[in-house]
Amino acid sequence: MPKDSKKHKRRKKEEKEPKANFKEKVTELLELPKEIVLDVPKITIVGAANLILENYKGIIEYSEGCVRVNTSIGIVKITGRKLSIKEITSEDIMVDGDLEAFEFLK
Amino acid sequence: MLLLRLWNYMRGYVIILVEGYFLEKFINICTRRQILLWDLKKQSNRRMTVNISIKGFKKLPEVARKTHCRVRIQSKCGLPFTVHKYKKRKAFILGAFSFVAAFYAMTSFIWDVDVYGNKKIDTQVLLDYLAGNGIRPGMLKYGINTDEIVSKLMIDMKELAWVEVSLKGTRIKVNVRERVTPPETIPMDQPCDIIARRDGLVKSVFTKSGQQVVKEGDTVTRGQVLISGNVVSRNENVKPRQVHAMGTVYARTWYEKKVPVETQIAEVVRTGMTKDVYSIMIFNRRIRLPYGEVPFKEYETVEIKKELSIGEDLIFPLTFIIERFYENNIIKKDIDLEEAKALAANKAKTELAKEIPQDAQIVKTDLKYTEDEKGKLTAVVMIECLEDIGMEKAIGGN
Repeated sequence: MPKDSKKHKRRKKEEKEPKANFKEKVTELLELPKEIVLDVPKITIVGAANLILENYKGIIEYSEGCVRVNTSIGIVKITGRKLSIKEITSEDIMVDGDLEAFEFLK
Repeated sequence: MLLLRLWNYMRGYVIILVEGYFLEKFINICTRRQILLWDLKKQSNRRMTVNISIKGFKKLPEVARKTHCRVRIQSKCGLPFTVHKYKKRKAFILGAFSFVAAFYAMTSFIWDVDVYGNKKIDTQVLLDYLAGNGIRPGMLKYGINTDEIVSKLMIDMKELAWVEVSLKGTRIKVNVRERVTPPETIPMDQPCDIIARRDGLVKSVFTKSGQQVVKEGDTVTRGQVLISGNVVSRNENVKPRQVHAMGTVYARTWYEKKVPVETQIAEVVRTGMTKDVYSIMIFNRRIRLPYGEVPFKEYETVEIKKELSIGEDLIFPLTFIIERFYENNIIKKDIDLEEAKALAANKAKTELAKEIPQDAQIVKTDLKYTEDEKGKLTAVVMIECLEDIGMEKAIGGN
């Protein structure tokens, strides 16, 4: 059983990986916007005071010193001072304030 | 960003205070339900202020209940709230609307007709003509066709060479150029005489055509025939022939001017005392505000006009006029006899210069002083000129 399960796992992996690769290749070939086709976040940082995160999933934590946002590739953590959310819609989130650090928590 | 702010202002929004333990959850649910939030500010661990549209705010109670948050309105911003505040003030709205209506009404009339560029034609004549064609202060401006007025003016007023009519705001500007009228000449095929324009002593006569009547040394008076167009043949059998007389007749002419010599002159000096009289002009009707008497014996008036206008062209029929009376002191001053003589002579000379035609050649200027029985001096300036005194005149005409 363990053998079988291992085999099954491998097959699944084999199946999944080429598919993702293929999608990525096509988007690269056709120069399509990746964040839409691959469903990954697009992060724009202007200076050290303004951050725009597009294509996010949800907000996990929000305080003056730290904002954590859930995305398809993991949690994004923004630390800083006097952070405020300038605007929030279902697609993007704009964070203002003194940005200090930006992390991907995978 | 400004545009967005303006849009938010137009739509109206509320600033709310959200209290609870699951503020993140509150935000997530809001975004998922397409409720737009902006300017989120955390006040403390469990309080934050959020801006939210009016539409979004109406959907909030359900979200608040789900997340166990308390929502309170901190302030209301935007146009809808402002409008709502003024909705009950009927007089205010009425005033606002009547202002707009009055403004529109006032700007649809002509309030000023401005004529310029004319030198010989009197401005009043042009204004009267324009008024006769429906252009005067107080007329509706919409029915005015400027092209039509231009062509009408050009046809009816022969003295005008060019006309421009422009309607701008509440002012109509009429810019004219006058025609330089050519001297009246008799056509070459019409018979005419050459007559004297003024008295003089004939110096020389050059006859190109016609019969010479005067000769050198003759004294002629104004209107006298110098060169006749009636050419009489020596042969009595031949009838007199009428020709277009041509030629130049040079004659000495004299111009004289007498100016009394004044040894006492009056000098006008402003004392600095003024009195203002105010009046208001509404729709060309002048209302003078009550004032006492002008307390000065000798004075001059200066009128200061202040029109109510927006910019240069949007004039309203309301003019504020200040008549300022300046008190004058007339000081009688004695001057030197020689100085007085020179003054009188100069005055006579400048007055004469206006009379003498431009093509006349000044030969001699005489200046003398005459004294009458009372001993009063008079400066007499006599200028001798050499000029062409010939002038065409149709035979038989006046």
